[in-house]
Amino acid sequence: MQTFRAGFALPLEELRDEMDRLWTSLTAAPPLHGWGTEQRTGVFPAVNMRDRDDAIVVEAELPGLDVGDIDINASADELTLKGRRPEPASQGGNGEAAEGDATKVTWLRRERGTGAFERRLSLPVAVDASRVEAQLVDGVLTVICPKAPESQPHKVTVRTAS
Amino acid sequence: MTLSLTTTAPEAEVARRQTPGEPTLTYQPHVDVCDTGSGLTIRADIPGASADSIDVAFEDGVLAVHAKVPARNLPARVLRQEYGIGDYRRSFRLGEGFDGAGISAEYRRGVLSIDVPRLAAVRPRKVAVRVANA
Repeated sequence: MQTFRAGFALPLEELRDEMDRLWTSLTAAPPLHGWGTEQRTGVFPAVNMRDRDDAIVVEAELPGLDVGDIDINASADELTLKGRRPEPASQGGNGEAAEGDATKVTWLRRERGTGAFERRLSLPVAVDASRVEAQLVDGVLTVICPKAPESQPHKVTVRTAS
Repeated sequence: MTLSLTTTAPEAEVARRQTPGEPTLTYQPHVDVCDTGSGLTIRADIPGASADSIDVAFEDGVLAVHAKVPARNLPARVLRQEYGIGDYRRSFRLGEGFDGAGISAEYRRGVLSIDVPRLAAVRPRKVAVRVANA
């Protein structure tokens, strides 16, 4: 025997589904984030791009790299980020993994991505390639591409007609 | 010697906001873990943090890492948003036999390296076999 009218039962089911979703989001592990081993070619590194009044700012997370490991090329409408992160075993051996005998090291987890990457980004407006600046702080690369004078916003002052 | 290394499920509050009204995302960092015999070396990608903002705690055989990452979003128009910026949190159940007092951690170029030494009593020892004099 149907005890609930259809219009009454449906909200309850929705509520139950909503509770399930809420519970899942509370108990599930947060997502893995960053440079993983299952790197999809062509879309690495992930970038965030912002349009500032005077410049286009591009940011990418490249932990473990030094300034010298990254090659940045800029043209008027394109920015290329290129570089590589070596395999951990050859990462210097400066008292970390290869402390004593390298053959004794057992890898229990290998999640961090390695290898070469190259990413071309087309820029939405013309930039002054000669004034592009980049900095790498704590694994975060920030590239500031100043806009070419013709693509900067102009403020038009409105005069009062006399 | 085999080691059971499991990543523990984070507490329910992980997804919650750190400060009321201030949205904070939480991610798990990618890690490399290797056993060097004398201990474990853990490396985690935690870009955008600082040594002061990273907590490494070892309690009851669980090594917990929590890194606060400050927001760095510019007040500018978003053209592309391919990744989020948030805190990092991950813990590892290491079990017995590790020297909590001897754990050292270093943060460099966005990578956190943690050395967890084994207690001297459980370290593998190489026993030299001498030739008995007849």
